[in-house]
Amino acid sequence: MIFSKRVICGLFAASFALLVSCEEKEAKDSEKTGYSRDQTLYLSGSQWGDPNTFNPLVEPWLVAWPANDRFNIMYEPLTAYNTITGVTEPILGIYQKELSNTEKIVVDIQPEAKWSDGKPVTSTDVKFIYELGKRFPQASVSYINEFVSEIKVDTVNNVERLSFMVNKKARNNPLAILDQLQAVRIVPAHVFEKYLADNNNDFDAVKKLKCDKDPVVSGPYTLDQYNNERIVLVRRDDYWGNKVLHEGALPVPKYIIHPIYKNNDHFAINLQKGALDASMNYIPRISEKKKDGVSTWYDAPPYFVPGSMHFLYLNHTKAPLSDKKFRRAMAAAIDYSAISRLALSNYTPPMKPGLIMSSGLEKKYYSEEEVTKHSVSLGDKEYAKKLLAEAGYKAIFDKDSVLKHSIGPNGDTLPSLLIKAPAGWSDWEAIVNLVVKQLRSVGIDVREGFVDGSQYWPALPSGDFDMIMRKPPVAVTASLPWNRFNAVMSSRNWRPVGDGNSMNENEGRYNNPSAANYNKRVDDLLDIIPLLSDEDSLKVAYAELNNIFLDDQPVIPVCHLPEEYYQFSTKVWDGWPTEKNQYAPPQLPWVGSGINTLWRLKSVK
Amino acid sequence: MIKLLRNLIKEPMFVIGSFLFLVTIFAGLFGSSLYTASPDGMSYDAPSGDYWLGTDNLGQDYVALLLRGLQNSLFVGFMAGIIATTIGTLIGLFAGFKGGLVDDILNMITNLFIVIPSFVVLVLVSASWPQGRSLVLIAVLIGLTTWPWTARSVRAQAASIRGRDHISLARINGASNLQIIFKHILPYLASYVFMVFIMQVASGILSESAISMIGLGPIGEGSTSLGVILNTAKNNSAITYGYWWGIFPAAIVITVIVFALYLLNNSMEGVFNPRLRK
Repeated sequence: MIFSKRVICGLFAASFALLVSCEEKEAKDSEKTGYSRDQTLYLSGSQWGDPNTFNPLVEPWLVAWPANDRFNIMYEPLTAYNTITGVTEPILGIYQKELSNTEKIVVDIQPEAKWSDGKPVTSTDVKFIYELGKRFPQASVSYINEFVSEIKVDTVNNVERLSFMVNKKARNNPLAILDQLQAVRIVPAHVFEKYLADNNNDFDAVKKLKCDKDPVVSGPYTLDQYNNERIVLVRRDDYWGNKVLHEGALPVPKYIIHPIYKNNDHFAINLQKGALDASMNYIPRISEKKKDGVSTWYDAPPYFVPGSMHFLYLNHTKAPLSDKKFRRAMAAAIDYSAISRLALSNYTPPMKPGLIMSSGLEKKYYSEEEVTKHSVSLGDKEYAKKLLAEAGYKAIFDKDSVLKHSIGPNGDTLPSLLIKAPAGWSDWEAIVNLVVKQLRSVGIDVREGFVDGSQYWPALPSGDFDMIMRKPPVAVTASLPWNRFNAVMSSRNWRPVGDGNSMNENEGRYNNPSAANYNKRVDDLLDIIPLLSDEDSLKVAYAELNNIFLDDQPVIPVCHLPEEYYQFSTKVWDGWPTEKNQYAPPQLPWVGSGINTLWRLKSVK
Repeated sequence: MIKLLRNLIKEPMFVIGSFLFLVTIFAGLFGSSLYTASPDGMSYDAPSGDYWLGTDNLGQDYVALLLRGLQNSLFVGFMAGIIATTIGTLIGLFAGFKGGLVDDILNMITNLFIVIPSFVVLVLVSASWPQGRSLVLIAVLIGLTTWPWTARSVRAQAASIRGRDHISLARINGASNLQIIFKHILPYLASYVFMVFIMQVASGILSESAISMIGLGPIGEGSTSLGVILNTAKNNSAITYGYWWGIFPAAIVITVIVFALYLLNNSMEGVFNPRLRK
């Protein structure tokens, strides 16, 4: 017995010693990095795997942060879109709204803009990347050719003026060009042309270069070092934009470190500890972290600024999902407030029907009156049951009120419909669980279908699903809400189910162009809207498109979530933009106008 | 038989094991009917007067979930146990009794199943069944992948009985192979098979928990199991965020059932096995 006590005491002592040594090790690790905490900003959420290459010409999904798309910190775009004000703000270029029209988008290059090797940023650099797809069709930016037919260069008062000519023969979409101004990073043509020349113009050989040693960049930070645990950037004190864009001030943090975490838990733990200053991933019940100094844009629900819609995509080639009445009944049956409360920690504001958000910059196109006229009543089970009964659907429940099966209007037993979602995505799993529970309670036979990512992603373009959770790749840009309508309703790339990876919009196959009931007006409106410039015409066009959406209910929006989660700790750095201090949008300071945050942070010390 | 039962009742391990097991059986069978679940609350409400064990990520009363989960886990455990014990016993009996080529073939099949990691097979088959993985399907899968050790041990027992006088006598009297196996060998091994069955039930419950824990367990209305509860808690980082009630009650219930079954098995072995009998 004494021996047992000794053993137990020994185990406790060993465990305690191990814990203490871990704490000490952590502290020593921090010292060992050589980056003073009060000069270093720790941000995370954009790099999950090992950083393999920093070559900006490589496909964005293979390039390590921050050399891939969306990030302004090393390679910069021409402009940045402010998601709060809707203003296209200057970076390497200044958008000339007055000179832009449906024929061209005009941008002046900042005459003071310079690369880190001292050479000026010129139209040659812009043309190099924008026209790369014409030289090398395999380049990831080759899609731009569909939007831009050519870039004309003029010189006005010693400033280079670029006119991005709208490709009238292809997409004819000036709105999309405006999006590209902030999506495409300008790279130094003189550097990459040399790489190409050294490699006999072999683009694939150039893509193999890692570009991780003294990269020539135009942004405020450059690569210092990296390994499999972190990527470190160091401030460029000679950044041209300090003078031109920030009144001569330097970005406050000298270093930015992106720790590479392997799962979501690490973000929450490190934010609470103050080891991470901001992150852009989903952390449930954020309000409970406030006591540990973790904050969000809003102090109260929804905490984040809504920017993206998550949908339940429905396969229109399968009955009963091809029946409009059935789809509308489904939309009515779902309790959206329960989804917000239980699955999403109240991160989604009260749901409004349709594809136009009733808040933010889209609000001007939202009409409560029109929506009420065309929409079903949301979260109303009795109404949903009435719609189903009117459409001829019946449900058979057992004695415990558990749904046995549903019967269609022609008397056939309906198949059990599966809602596909990636296994392990806890917020989507919770949404699907709730939707299944709610739909089954009104007599719609649906089931959860959580599948591995390797089954989920190919199922989308090929249409291999009954229903599937989906967040279309629609960023908050100047082209909202058009790009959302386009992602959900466009038949431009319509392909039959099973046709490979070719359909990346409207994956539910709504509005088949070769079907008798094809509604051409939908595609016409999607073509017209990007060419409209006066707000009244836009309002009318959006209202018409939204009404068609509400009448047809091609997909079911289940929640409005932020485009990017933005939560920060005030333990080391303060002065983050918030609802009360809106000097920058709620984005990590490496995306869009969020980069302005770097000049406004204050060290708590 | 009565004497054996008397001896069993004298075993403290048996009494404790039986008590714990009967409590879990009672809770599993009648708990859901007797307990009125509180209406859905908020995500991960802490234990309180309204929610004795708090709520899960969807605000559901954990006590109600645990009772339903217990019922379903016991169902899977028993069904898997019956399937595995039946297959294992039949193969073991035939292999042990027949010997020769039949024994070689059945042994080869058994060894094949032993060397193929059953959990991997379970995972692969479950993963390829995303639609409607019911409790029955999970139980059948577990039963079909966990029988080999039963077969091997029953075979050894059957082989040791094969040469006994009463078997030779039955053979001389014209009894068929099936008659000999089921009338003269199986009764000898009944207590052993019962003990094996108990451990197969425990193994079934653990296998279900493990497979559900990695997200490949039963899906569908009313199919919550103890493993599914653990999986939900894991996916929602319950431990990271300090929601201990998402993990510990389910883990404790699994431990209690398996511990009770282990005690029962151990105490029975002490009574039924002449070599271990005190």
